[in-house]
Amino acid sequence: MSDVTAPDLNGKKEDDRDYSVFDNDIEGKRFDVALLRRLLGWLKPYRGRALLSLCSVLISATATVLAPVIITRVVVDGLLLTENALPDSVEAPDMGQRALVGFVSSFSALDMLVAACLVYAGWVLMAGLFSHLFRILLARAVLNGLKDLRRDVFAHLERLPAAFYDRVAVGRVMTRVTNDIETLFELLSGFGVLLGEFVPFLVAMTIMMSINPQLTGLLLILMPVAVVATFIFRLASRKIYRDIRSSLSRLNENLQENLSGMEVVQLYQREEINFRRYSEINSANRHQENHAVTVESYYGPAMDSLIFLAMASIIWFGGAQVIAADVTLGSLILFASFTEMLFRPIVAMGEQWNVVFRAMASCERIFQALDWKEALIEPENPQPLPTPLRGEVRFDHLDFQYRPGHPILRDVSFTIPAGRRIAIVGPTGSGKTTLIRLLCRFYDVVPGSIYIDDTDIMDVMPGEVRRRVGVVLQDFHIFSGTVLDNIVLGDPAVSREDAIQAAKTVNAHPFIERLPQGYDTPLVERGRNLSHGQRQLLAFARVLAMNPDILILDEATASVDTETELVIQDALRKLTADRTSIIIAHRLQTIREADTIVVLAQGELREMGSHDELMRARGLYATLYELQVQDAT
Amino acid sequence: MQPQRPPTHPLWRLLPLIQAHARRFWGGMSLIILGRFLEAGMPLLLGAAIDSLHRGAPNLLFPALAIMVLMVARYVSFNLGRRFVRQVGVEVAFDLRQKLYWHLQLQGPKFFAQFTTGDLMARAINDLQLIRMMVGLGSRLLFVLGASGIIAFGIMLTLSTKLSVMLLPLMPIIGFFGWLIARQIFVQSTLVQEGFSELSAQVQENLNGIRTIQTHSQEAREIERLEAKSGDYADTFLRLMFHNSALTSTMLVMTGAATLIIVGYGGSLVINGEVSIGTFTAFLFFLGMMLSPVKEGGVMVTLFQRAASATERIYEILDHEPEIRDADDAAPLDTVGGEIVIKDLSYQHAGQKKGSQSWPALNNISLTIARGQTVAVLGRIGSGKSTLLRLLVRLLDPAPGTIYLDGRDVRNLPLAQVRQEIAFVPQDPFLFADELGQNITYDNPDRTLEEVWDAAKIADLGETINMFPSKLETEVGERGVTLSGGQKQRTSLARGLIRGTPVLLLDDCFSAVDTETEEKILTRLRALRQGLTTVLVSHRVSTAQHADRIIMLECGEIVESGTHADLMASGGAYAELARMQSRREVLQSDLEAQTATTENQMSEDVP
Repeated sequence: MSDVTAPDLNGKKEDDRDYSVFDNDIEGKRFDVALLRRLLGWLKPYRGRALLSLCSVLISATATVLAPVIITRVVVDGLLLTENALPDSVEAPDMGQRALVGFVSSFSALDMLVAACLVYAGWVLMAGLFSHLFRILLARAVLNGLKDLRRDVFAHLERLPAAFYDRVAVGRVMTRVTNDIETLFELLSGFGVLLGEFVPFLVAMTIMMSINPQLTGLLLILMPVAVVATFIFRLASRKIYRDIRSSLSRLNENLQENLSGMEVVQLYQREEINFRRYSEINSANRHQENHAVTVESYYGPAMDSLIFLAMASIIWFGGAQVIAADVTLGSLILFASFTEMLFRPIVAMGEQWNVVFRAMASCERIFQALDWKEALIEPENPQPLPTPLRGEVRFDHLDFQYRPGHPILRDVSFTIPAGRRIAIVGPTGSGKTTLIRLLCRFYDVVPGSIYIDDTDIMDVMPGEVRRRVGVVLQDFHIFSGTVLDNIVLGDPAVSREDAIQAAKTVNAHPFIERLPQGYDTPLVERGRNLSHGQRQLLAFARVLAMNPDILILDEATASVDTETELVIQDALRKLTADRTSIIIAHRLQTIREADTIVVLAQGELREMGSHDELMRARGLYATLYELQVQDAT
Repeated sequence: MQPQRPPTHPLWRLLPLIQAHARRFWGGMSLIILGRFLEAGMPLLLGAAIDSLHRGAPNLLFPALAIMVLMVARYVSFNLGRRFVRQVGVEVAFDLRQKLYWHLQLQGPKFFAQFTTGDLMARAINDLQLIRMMVGLGSRLLFVLGASGIIAFGIMLTLSTKLSVMLLPLMPIIGFFGWLIARQIFVQSTLVQEGFSELSAQVQENLNGIRTIQTHSQEAREIERLEAKSGDYADTFLRLMFHNSALTSTMLVMTGAATLIIVGYGGSLVINGEVSIGTFTAFLFFLGMMLSPVKEGGVMVTLFQRAASATERIYEILDHEPEIRDADDAAPLDTVGGEIVIKDLSYQHAGQKKGSQSWPALNNISLTIARGQTVAVLGRIGSGKSTLLRLLVRLLDPAPGTIYLDGRDVRNLPLAQVRQEIAFVPQDPFLFADELGQNITYDNPDRTLEEVWDAAKIADLGETINMFPSKLETEVGERGVTLSGGQKQRTSLARGLIRGTPVLLLDDCFSAVDTETEEKILTRLRALRQGLTTVLVSHRVSTAQHADRIIMLECGEIVESGTHADLMASGGAYAELARMQSRREVLQSDLEAQTATTENQMSEDVP
């Protein structure tokens, strides 16, 4: 009858899915270019901005480096040392700065020193402005790209079928939309930081090379020292940091468990022993932290020491060159002022090291979610459900299992005549919830079939089924938005009047009217500003507004006061009037008022009939009923 | 309860913690400041070298060597100084963690109703980290940056008072801009943090409600909503980045302005011969050092502000006096026989949920339990059964003069003795992520293997343990996840039984055990508890019927009391319950078969 894939084949496909991959801890092991390239794909729409950003960093780096050239080559060499016996310094390169200052001076008829100050100010302003532009443009490109990535991951998760969320904890996937994207921001903006350090470094190097290749070469010898030092430091600290992470998580686990089991801890007077055990971990952690502090204390000041070493070299070797009249004194000062810039890229690279590994792991997690393909089977030739619908529902030899070897439903067959009100009862784990979830097409119905008015729901698009079958789940979701939004739910067919009418029908109107802004009162996520009974009524109004042909209700188990209970029962009666209704019933009143009661146990249909019939039969229903009576008050 | 503290800044409360490591802390600070002094030598030496070159009487050996010496000295003092100060940060975190852990173990139910586990964990993790950062880094910045500014400016003043004074007017301007932007950054970064948690909350709520969303075909709208939220977050983040970047650029330009003063005014002084070219160069180098406090002040202020609120949150916990504690005149009993007398005991739960009908949990209960008696307490959910047991073991504190153990008010006994002599097996069998055997000997890990096996057998756990490949060494997992509900309950029972206390309280701890097993356990229990006091709470008549006395509770009051035979004869609530439950027993096997098979299956309602 159904034209979908053969049931057994589909069953096999389901079994093959390994959901445990979402539980595995992914640790970034290596630098993966393929992952990075894929990630950069999201930045593509913003490449214009990224390119502008790159131009800005070039301009700002050049300006940053030219500013000290003005001071040293133009002011010191050209203006302050003129009376000195040093050889003609005009020959030494100054990147055209002297000519520029000279031009400004003659153009504005200002003193050379004042003109030099003006040009200097110009360069500094440019450096400030363009470095700002560089950072902002880059941040904007990265933030926008990641925003798109976040949307794509979220949209993908949003459309995964319910079966996925049965097997994978929400906590396991939600961090991929949140924390993991944050880590990627760290990574990409970290690249920006590196760029901001490397470009000025390279420009400075070029200028230094052109002024004095020997001295520059000498300073470059120090670079490998810095690289090696950084590498050794990262290597030495990597294990320590891993140990610290693990001892910290052990500390937290210990504390968390102690808090959760505090009553037992106190009753069994374990305070001393537990405190001792915690102290042991805490001491181990302290030891590791101190170890890390020691290692860092060796590294940090060492990098600064290299600057001193460079300075001493400049004085010793550069000074000798000044004496030999190979370089000017100004050039010497210029070199000295560049020393600080020398090792910064290496330090920055060391700092980005860990981020890269963490980000690789985040990338992997994000793409793992994005690449997870799972969807409900959609019919090749979808049929519409007949309009109007009579509302007869037939379950035909339904079998279902979430995991192989653990059947939840076993050969369930029964028919609900149109317009009847059915209560499903049974112990926990009897398959009640699964049955109604199948009816609203959370899962593929194979093997077995469900017919609505003789149409197999597997031949209908899942969206179509859900439009015609209204469901109130036990843990229904209140959306943030106004009360009205929560009733209308974006359905253009439902007007404000319709919504209010629906609210009136299910007795929700009085409490909504009492809210500060009535139907336009904004609701907090989950409707925390409403009482449980009010939320229930709102969920009723919402489902009534969509005017479904068939109503499914998973009755809430939470206890409410008697008055609210009466209001809810009354609303339920109106909701189910003249409509095929299937209710997983927890309340005696609901059960008693059903036309037919279906008793499920261990996934099988055990009993079916009216309350009186089943009580007379003295079977499972009678037992369950009496237990319910006993517990209820 | 707590004397009102004078309103001082919360950070002062960290001072004693730091002072506990005073030598290391202040020693480290002194070393770092010394290092700054040594650093100040470099521009001076550079200036000297340049002057000597300028004068045509070059002396390069001394400055070059002296810089090398400075390098070594500075390295040593910074290495040790930073290490010491940061170690104090580690120590303070260590001490606070120890304090917090111990303090939390003293707290009672009111406290844990007020602070959720998640909240406490957040404080223990994040707030502690912030405090550590402040002590190890923030305090260092405070002293070092201050010292740098003063040292640099002091030297500049001695080199050239004229030029130094010219720089002064710029300082407040730079400070003002720095402060302005830093404050913005603080505000913005708080907004970013809030934005991120809002975003996370929205994603989480959404995915938790995914079924409703899909049944109402709201996916597209929800994606749009996330996009909007994500867009807001990106905007907030961008604003933070903007301010951060603006601060960096402003400081760059401001430093440039200060440099201009040195170049313009200093240059003319050089030309006039008032200042040497070496001093001119040294000034350029000192400038950075002098401006460092205003440049990095923002970071420091943020660290301090964060740490202040973190300290407040940590001390909110540490200042919380334990609600249940020893009376000042508490004295232990020499031996405990196990006679319990309850006189006019009433109890009202604090902070009961609004909207729910509220009646006192217990109302005027009077009861005498003779030494060696077994008493069963029956009643509906919410009738006060658990509350009664909890009061007996002082998990809740009874009013003075209401509960007596061997004639002594339990409020006048040391809490440790009450908990030592009265074993309580709670309804919810909480197991620790440890070995099964370790869970049974939770009160005292030194118990012998025989004791463990005896207790396990009485709790009908022996065969179960033998079924496991690693027997008593079986890891039960977090909260005992690898065990079934019944196994958890029996482990929890064994954990209570092994103690052989004069008084044993069992709070409905057979609910996940089938009646047949329960019967076996109860028979063994009777033999074990011969001559010892036992109180058991249940909702099953089958559990209660063999007790010496049965108490029926209803809405916190004793409505019936007597032996099984008495109560059956009187035909009251107990007899009615017995009638209903015997009916149920007929079908018990059917139900239990289901419980057994579904127990290990995936729970259907919460997959």
